[in-house]
Amino acid sequence: MQWTTRIVIAASITLASGLMPVIAEETKVFALVLKNHTFMPATLTIPANEKVKIIIENKDDTAEEFDSFDLNRERVIFAGKSATIYVGPLPPGTYEYFGEYHPNSARGQVIVSEERP
Amino acid sequence: MLKWSSIILLVISCQSLADGMVVDKVYHPYVTVNEREFEWRFMSSQTDQSNVLAQRFGYGHSFYENVAFEVYLVGERDETGDFQLSAYEFETRWMITEQGKYWADWGAVFEIEKQKSVNNYEASVGVIFEKEIGITSLTMNLFAIREWGQTIESEWETEFRLQYRYRYIPELQPSIELYSGEDFVGIGPGFMGVYRIEGQKQIKWEAGFITEVANSGKNHTLRFAIEYEF
Repeated sequence: MQWTTRIVIAASITLASGLMPVIAEETKVFALVLKNHTFMPATLTIPANEKVKIIIENKDDTAEEFDSFDLNRERVIFAGKSATIYVGPLPPGTYEYFGEYHPNSARGQVIVSEERP
Repeated sequence: MLKWSSIILLVISCQSLADGMVVDKVYHPYVTVNEREFEWRFMSSQTDQSNVLAQRFGYGHSFYENVAFEVYLVGERDETGDFQLSAYEFETRWMITEQGKYWADWGAVFEIEKQKSVNNYEASVGVIFEKEIGITSLTMNLFAIREWGQTIESEWETEFRLQYRYRYIPELQPSIELYSGEDFVGIGPGFMGVYRIEGQKQIKWEAGFITEVANSGKNHTLRFAIEYEF
């Protein structure tokens, strides 16, 4: 078998296997609201060792960019719109985040806990 | 297990392919809408016989939530030692999957380059893979490249790039990088970091020192890139 054929086959298997498992799983959904350039709740607790979906609703009339090096996520949320981020599976701990446009007021943390939130 | 087996097969396969100098930027699949950037890339390669210098100056803009465009001016030092503008390049990067939604994140990059003085072209299609593993990230790029034109022979090439990065602190994220080509397999340390200025304004930098390991003889490449995002 030629190398090019092997690469195509390997890449296809990798792509397919990477997409399949998570589609079937049920992902828990959590919500954050941005209002007056403040995230609410400022502390969000999510379960450890599982992937979750966080929907961030921006009720302000300006855009904001959710940014977290700890969570390895960066996402723009337009004014009056919602955006979804997927985080985890994560080990227990405290993960900081902030809004890039209003870093003094738009701050919060995600607590990853083994106890069910 | 199947996922990791197929990734290992992909890496092994690619180490035996590709052509020429492949040390360059390792692309990540993520796009942030409304982000604009100026970029400068520098690459210096030293062998026993020659010293190749290439630089790229680019401007990029993410108009959409999952697509970014970038245009580059490419400069290279020629055989007489003069450094001059040698080519233009257009690049589109597409974030195919939402970050973290699936087992791994996927993107694609499309590039077309035209040499300035002659009608020689190079078109590339690349698949971008990134997998978060705790506080580390594994990123892989696989390119299929087609070259054609007035003064070059038409040919297909493949290139492979891999980066395994430890997200230590925003300003300093060390990595191991691997680049592969037909006559070139290089490995070495890499570093990247982000310095925030204000709002969306930030400076991203990355560097790598890659040593060729497939053939005997000296072949070291230093790569450096700096981006101003705003």
